[in-house]
Amino acid sequence: MEKTIKVINELKKKGLINDYAIGGGIGALFYIEPFLTYDLDIFVVLKEEPDKVIIDLSNIYNYLQSKGYKWKGEHILIEGVPVQFIVADELEEEGIKNAKKVRYKGIPTKVLSPEYLIAIFLRTGRKKDIEKVERFFEETKINKRKLRNILKKFNIKWVK
Amino acid sequence: MGKMSKEIKICINGKVIKREDIFKRKDIFHKEQAKLPFEKKIEILVTLQKIARNVKGKKGIVWKIE
Repeated sequence: MEKTIKVINELKKKGLINDYAIGGGIGALFYIEPFLTYDLDIFVVLKEEPDKVIIDLSNIYNYLQSKGYKWKGEHILIEGVPVQFIVADELEEEGIKNAKKVRYKGIPTKVLSPEYLIAIFLRTGRKKDIEKVERFFEETKINKRKLRNILKKFNIKWVK
Repeated sequence: MGKMSKEIKICINGKVIKREDIFKRKDIFHKEQAKLPFEKKIEILVTLQKIARNVKGKKGIVWKIE
C-alpha cells in the first residue's frame, strides 16, 4: 500500500488536491481490530473555487489514467488498491485539518482521528458503521469531550 | 438461585478455566489486535480478503500489494 500512498502524495505535490486523509474502513482499521474491507477511501480537499456548482475530479483522474491506472467500477485501481476519492464536506474537511500524521512503511500520510471517523460513521448510520463505532469504544481511546463537540457542531445524533 | 449465577468452570487441555475468564481473554485479545501496527493490520486485511475470495468465489477483491 506504500506505493498507493506515494501516488496520492504526488497528487498533493502537483497541486491537484490541497490536502487529504484516509477515512472509511481503512481509517478505522488504523485504530481497531482488523476486519474485512475492500476499498481505500481518500477524503480530499480541492482548491477553493466558490463559484463552481459541479465539483470536477477529472484533473485527478486524468492524471492517474495518464500514469496507467485503470477504473474498476467506482474505484480507480492504484498500485493494486481500489481507491475512492471523496470530496470532503465541512465535517470531513475539519477532520482532514485535524487528522493524525502517520507513516506507512516510512511513507508519510494522514488518517482521520477516531473522533471524526466516529462522527462520519454515525452520520452515515448504516448498521456496519454503527458496529464500527461500538468497536472504537471497546478497543481504542476516544476523546469523549472532543467527540461531543464535533457531534454538537455538526448536529449529529447518536441513538443507541 | 438459578444455574446461570453459579461459577462455571471448564477444563480445557488439562487447565481449569472460569467461563467468564474465556470472555475476558477474548476481550483482551481484541484490544491487543487493535494495537497492532498499521502495516501488520494491512497484511491481516489482505489475508481476510483472500479467505473471503475463497468463500465467495472469483468475485472477491484481493489487494495486489505484495
